[in-house]
Amino acid sequence: MSQSPTTPQARFPAIRLDQVGKRFGDHQVLEGIDLEVAHSEVVCLIGPSGSGKSTLLRCMAFLEHYDQGEIYIEGALIGWEIDDQGRRRRASNRRLRQSRSNLGMVFQQFNLWPHMTALGNVSEALKRVKGLSRLDAERRGRQALERVGLLDKADAHPARLSGGQQQRVAIARALAMEPKIMLFDEPTSALDPELVGEVLAVMKRLASEGMTMVVVTHEMGFAARMADTLVFLDHGRIIARGAPAQVFGEEAPPRVRQFLQDYLERNALLIDANTEAPGAMPSSISAGDGAAAATKGMF
Amino acid sequence: MNFDPSILTTHAGEIGDAFLVTVKTWLLGSALGLIVGLALALLIRSLGRWARLPLLALSELIRGTPFLVICFILYYGGPSIGIDLNAIFAGIVCIGFYSSVYFAEIFRSGFNAVPRGQLEAAECLGLGRWQLLVRIELPQMLVIILPALTNLLTVLCKETAILSIITVPELTAVLGGIGTRTFSFAETLVALCLAYLLLVELTARVGNWLERRVGGYLN
Amino acid sequence: MFDWTSFVHSLPLLGQALLVTLKASLAGNLFGFLIAIPVTALRLSSRPLARTLGASYIFVFRGVPLLVQLLVIYYLLPTTGLPNLSPMTAAVLALSLCSGAYIAEILRGGFLAIPPGQIEAARLLGIGAATTLVRIELPQAVRLTLPSLVNELVLLIKASALISVVGLADLSRVAQNLAASDYLFFQHYLVLALAYCLINLPLTFSGRLLERHLARSQYRAAE
Repeated sequence: MSQSPTTPQARFPAIRLDQVGKRFGDHQVLEGIDLEVAHSEVVCLIGPSGSGKSTLLRCMAFLEHYDQGEIYIEGALIGWEIDDQGRRRRASNRRLRQSRSNLGMVFQQFNLWPHMTALGNVSEALKRVKGLSRLDAERRGRQALERVGLLDKADAHPARLSGGQQQRVAIARALAMEPKIMLFDEPTSALDPELVGEVLAVMKRLASEGMTMVVVTHEMGFAARMADTLVFLDHGRIIARGAPAQVFGEEAPPRVRQFLQDYLERNALLIDANTEAPGAMPSSISAGDGAAAATKGMF
Repeated sequence: MNFDPSILTTHAGEIGDAFLVTVKTWLLGSALGLIVGLALALLIRSLGRWARLPLLALSELIRGTPFLVICFILYYGGPSIGIDLNAIFAGIVCIGFYSSVYFAEIFRSGFNAVPRGQLEAAECLGLGRWQLLVRIELPQMLVIILPALTNLLTVLCKETAILSIITVPELTAVLGGIGTRTFSFAETLVALCLAYLLLVELTARVGNWLERRVGGYLN
Repeated sequence: MFDWTSFVHSLPLLGQALLVTLKASLAGNLFGFLIAIPVTALRLSSRPLARTLGASYIFVFRGVPLLVQLLVIYYLLPTTGLPNLSPMTAAVLALSLCSGAYIAEILRGGFLAIPPGQIEAARLLGIGAATTLVRIELPQAVRLTLPSLVNELVLLIKASALISVVGLADLSRVAQNLAASDYLFFQHYLVLALAYCLINLPLTFSGRLLERHLARSQYRAAE
């Protein structure tokens, strides 16, 4: 994490997780998660499905209630209050809203409100939460839509937009509230392959502008190139973390290497079936030879 | 059997009043049921799994009971526990009470039909509970449940005929009365059928028209 | 509050009345089903005239309140010179005609859910239209719509509370008589409501179980 640029005046990391755990009934979904995200850092959470990475991200926004440990957003504990006896209690709705005002969340299923236009989606919270006048809210809404390149779709309802456009509107909706941190929960997983690029491009722009981002993703190429830090989760624990070259490199634990190899084979088969590109054959990747290089070659 | 429509015109005033009573008890009763039903659905939703059980059980009991029996309980049973109402007002209360549980059931399924993720998105952006309800949930679920609402309204329109049994001077009571007094069953009963068909068809058409108007954003 | 003596004395009367209610509504449901089959066939026919006929039947018998239908059958039919109907016949006739319209609408949905290829297959094998309807389509349509049909039966049992207007001593009428004799209105009508619930709630719940079971098996079939 040392290589990430940190604004000198920031007294806290943007996000700090301390021994976070969560159970669903008998099942321990997350266990002993320690993590710090610095300002302007891009962290990608990766790992097999069911590893708990989406749950972890949702805990950061308190959409899931973590029941062990603490999560601090911009220095403030989110979701819980600790009283004098050290017992935890649900924070008031007002305090939760305050913590969340630092966060922008982007979902796998976009979750746009279908009865409002793109501009309506983007300006709703500006009006109702920030209390802007309709005119101001719409002006700022248009600016946000412009940032994702969809100003011309301002008056379209979500059903009229492609998946990629819907996700870009969803990103604009979150950006319009000027959050310090953006959380992305598999933002491209619900998209047709040809629409993934436009969403990733918007995210790359954001990262280069210095936005603090935590991204749960299956796009290994994106993760390898954009992340300052990769965090690999398996069975609810972090089993590898560090710069992409490190996590995807020769020192990678066997579990990570296995995951990468499976991933490459799946995609190579796809590419093979579609284009018969000879370079993408899985046999060309030997486990020792640095999977990161192969990932980069693919994208 | 002879058919003499003039029996209707000579009693036009009486019949017109009765028609208004039918429409009044129907629409005011439905409005009452709609409001109580929405409140009931919200209340049930806000209660825990066990705390809501008594309400759910009561709702099942009311839905298992014929409308006529609900009317008996409220109109004839009411005075014995100190509630006394005039007939038209009682009719409105009967329709409202009976329909509230059906409205609540419709609202409950409507709430469930709004995808959970949309509410999470609203929560993350800081929208409060009330804003969530008014701006995100209600506008969408009203579109989703519109066909069910229209259907329930037509059912309630027909149920108002039963109010004649508890002496509400609505169409069925008045036209039936004219028929018995003058032995002109054919004229009065045919008029009665036509009146209900008209109201039911009108409701269905308005419902269809609304569905087309408000559902536009879905495609 | 609750007069147990009066309640115990009313039980035999209510028992008999329950039989009247059940007899009328079950018969109404059965004949309603038999009426619904040709009405559905008309409704789904390729001939416009037949379709209009089927749709008109459904429009009229679903659009007019059952109470008014009962009045028409009981008061109007005798004046047309037709033989007088016994109260039970009149009640069952009204219930059948009315539920026939509702059941037809339910069955229509079921018929439309059957893949057309099956019917083509039957035709190619030389099976006639009527036989295809009864042997191939109907069993599937009923299976698919069973929860709705159970629900319709519940609605009909509730609607049968109105048959007292043609002079039958059903549950509602007997409770009214009891209430008029000892002025325990609230008590008798509450018992009456519970009596209906006693029949209807088990039916409602089994309908929901069926629905869940059907949804599961369809889900399996889709996989």
